[in-house]
Amino acid sequence: MGKSIVITSGKGGVGKTTTTANIGTGLAQIGRKVCLVDADIGLRNLDVVMGLENRIVYDLIDVVEGHCRVRSALIKDKRFDNLFLLPAAQTREKDAVNPEQMEKLITELKQEFDYVLVDCPAGIEQGFKNAIAGADLAIIVTTPEVSAVRDADRIIGLLEADELFEPQLIVNRIRPDMIRRGDMMTTDDMIDILAIKLLGIVPDDESIIVSTNKGEPAVLDKKSVSGQAFRNIVRRLEGASVPFLALEEENMVKRLMRFIGIGGKS
Amino acid sequence: MSKEACIIKGNKHGLSISIPREMDFAEVLSQLRTRLASAQEFFAGAAVYVSAADRDLEPEEKQQLAKTVEEFGLSITEPEADEAPAPAVESGKDEFKEDTLLLRRTIRSGQKIRYDGNVVVLGDVNPGAEIICSGDILVLGSLRGVAHAGCTGNVNASVFAFRLEPTQLRIANYISRSPDEKLPKPLGPELARVCDNVIQITAYQS
Ligand SMILES: Nc1ncnc2c1ncn2[C@@H]1O[C@H](COP(=O)(O)OP(=O)(O)OP(=O)(O)O)[C@@H](O)[C@H]1O
Ligand SMILES: [Mg+2]
Repeated sequence: MGKSIVITSGKGGVGKTTTTANIGTGLAQIGRKVCLVDADIGLRNLDVVMGLENRIVYDLIDVVEGHCRVRSALIKDKRFDNLFLLPAAQTREKDAVNPEQMEKLITELKQEFDYVLVDCPAGIEQGFKNAIAGADLAIIVTTPEVSAVRDADRIIGLLEADELFEPQLIVNRIRPDMIRRGDMMTTDDMIDILAIKLLGIVPDDESIIVSTNKGEPAVLDKKSVSGQAFRNIVRRLEGASVPFLALEEENMVKRLMRFIGIGGKS
Repeated sequence: MSKEACIIKGNKHGLSISIPREMDFAEVLSQLRTRLASAQEFFAGAAVYVSAADRDLEPEEKQQLAKTVEEFGLSITEPEADEAPAPAVESGKDEFKEDTLLLRRTIRSGQKIRYDGNVVVLGDVNPGAEIICSGDILVLGSLRGVAHAGCTGNVNASVFAFRLEPTQLRIANYISRSPDEKLPKPLGPELARVCDNVIQITAYQS
């Protein structure tokens, strides 16, 4: 049986959908059987990021309400035969599904796939509760901003309350230049507060926007740094130990300086 | 003007407002407004109990009171039948229970711990989290959220943390908040207690 992973954040727009698309595609690239589930009902866009919008016939609500079988709602990816998407309904509200139904659906998908990745909507309401139902692991996406980290912390607390422990963190949209100037929170600062395992760091990268618009996840682009970041994340999910990208190099020097007693705040 | 004043106090049940017997009702409302406005953030979201000593409030007056506290995002809660209304002014003696709640985890944003007794956290208290208790607070980690010790009026209560960097500290009805400019991180354990009518923080020596 496969593993289900929910990608969540609390705060909106930090990169959940981008992360889901890239990790999913990256896992498929190395041969895993993957199903992406868009749980952002009413605001779906995982299909767009994957470039599969024009193939949608049925959606998650159709499956849950028994209008069609899971098989017929799954859309096969254009690039990989082992990658599928279950799209969200665009015309319904989040409360059209409940956590029990989601759990049943995810369990069913796990029978057939190595990985089931669920793209969670922003917020902590019904949509969030649906998305985490049936998840074995949670990946928390944050950006290096105080408000995003605060929301991530809130989410970790809610996941614990739901007995989903040991989530892993992806810090997205890191800007090495800002870190160098000391104008951006460092990963260390964030881990210090959130106290969870770091799964990956992804730079703020134009190629994400380009690839999103083309419907072609950056993970497929050998030359893209963010693509490399996502490929590393995929390998870590598969159990390999891969060093983190050197996006915060300058900070190491600063840390060393602090260590030997020059320079003040972290 | 009479020397009497409305007394607003926070306690384990929420906020209690006590209204002196003889006081003019218009004066009551105006005092209440000033007091609530001066500490709006502190009071936000608390349950409010009104105790009017032996004074019987007219329904009309009750309504006006309710409207006034609503302006500040509060609402009046009727005390539960079997529970006496929270007394407005507690004796301040060490009557708090000695029970201790041990929390072996990180208290995260949005989580609120209320306890009648002491609270010990083996972990961090993150920004956006709150610990409110009638006794002492000990955090064997970083305290970055809000801590309210001695919430039922015990001014001898204290707050201890390995790294004391709270958003706000309250002891009994004293409040202090973190300065707006960034402070250097504390180097070691620190203890906060009330001294000379202010909350003072000192390095902890065993
Ligand atoms: N590393 C990055 N570099 C540059 N742009 C990025 C990066 N990650 C995400 N973005 C951009 O940020 C925007 C939001 O990303 P995305 O849709 O993945 O966020 P989300 O968390 O799913 O949002 P929502 O909460 O609305 O579902 C998108 O336009 C995306 O292209
Ligand atoms: Mg999204």
